Amino acid sequence: MIPLVGLVVGVVLGLVLQPTLPVGLQPYLPIAIVAALDALFGAFRAYLEGTFTDRVFVVSFISNVLIAALIVWVGDQIGVGSQLSTGVVVVLGIRIFTNVAAIRRVLFHA
Amino acid sequence: MSTTPTVPPRRVDASMDLLNQILHQPVDPDYARVAADLAPEDRRRPRAHWWLALVLVLAGTLFAVGALQTNRTRPVQETERAELVERIGAAETQQDALRRQVEDLDGQIDRLRSAALGTDASSRALEAQIDRLGPAVGLASVTGPGVVIVVDDAPATDGDARDQVLDLDLQVLANGLWASGAEAVAINGHRLSALTAIRGAGDAITVDYRSLTRPYRVEAIGDPRTLQARLAESAAGAWWNDLAQNRDMTYQTSDASRLVLDSDPGITLRYARTVDR
Repeated sequence: MIPLVGLVVGVVLGLVLQPTLPVGLQPYLPIAIVAALDALFGAFRAYLEGTFTDRVFVVSFISNVLIAALIVWVGDQIGVGSQLSTGVVVVLGIRIFTNVAAIRRVLFHA
Repeated sequence: MSTTPTVPPRRVDASMDLLNQILHQPVDPDYARVAADLAPEDRRRPRAHWWLALVLVLAGTLFAVGALQTNRTRPVQETERAELVERIGAAETQQDALRRQVEDLDGQIDRLRSAALGTDASSRALEAQIDRLGPAVGLASVTGPGVVIVVDDAPATDGDARDQVLDLDLQVLANGLWASGAEAVAINGHRLSALTAIRGAGDAITVDYRSLTRPYRVEAIGDPRTLQARLAESAAGAWWNDLAQNRDMTYQTSDASRLVLDSDPGITLRYARTVDR
């Protein structure tokens, strides 16, 4: 229950307050969101498998988001930013798909 | 039963370890490790700390900010695009005005030249030579009968470049017209000279570095009785018949009783010498 409420509160907060990100950070927001989605689905799958621990989730969420943004930032500095962000999206996308498929199997037995 | 430790055979996909890891380890392995350390009763009901809620609020905010940001930048991009289109249009009108100015100045040069040459016999011979060569090199505008050829991509092109008119096709057609006795050729109003480049640039074909829009209208001034027939017999005619029949491209040839082809504004004086009088 807490996770869902937290997510909804976060979305509402973002929509109401409309915080503006510093211009320098804006290119890294989409990749951070993809990393956050990956951490969320991973956590949900772990929860369904009965191995969820909030400490691991918090650490993996924050490190995922930061590392994904950092990789793309480093890529931007050395001139391969768009290629690296494609790579990050591909890897995280595969993981998200695998996790969602596992979640679907557990929830709907299909 | 052998007790000697056997080395496990190397997996066939050992070189694709990274992909395997992504596919088979999508959940952070720490979940399993920490859960194994916990007591079974703890595992049944995972405790939720306040930081979990905080991180989830953060995640939600992240999504909202991301969506807002994308929506906010869209109108900006559209106005930027509109501005760019406007600037291109303005630059094109300016270019046209400059070209007209060039033509005016060319006319002035012509008048000044004939005034400077005077009226003696050798000058008249020079003027006659200029008048004769001017139309051929594209320096003077030409009026007369000829043929109009309209070519276009095949109607249903599913992105296949072979169904589209290429720069090569227009080059072949222009060369075929020259070879069939055309005196002046223009594509979409751009007069061709010996120095005109017909090239593909991205999706468009350019003539004298000005991009063309479809359909392509090729006008050629020449003897109307022979030009069309000679073109049909030439290699260019065979080339285009093939394109029209096998690729379904448009290739329409028609006679025109009067065509006006402007001079090529790209022609400049490159070589000159004084005449010994």
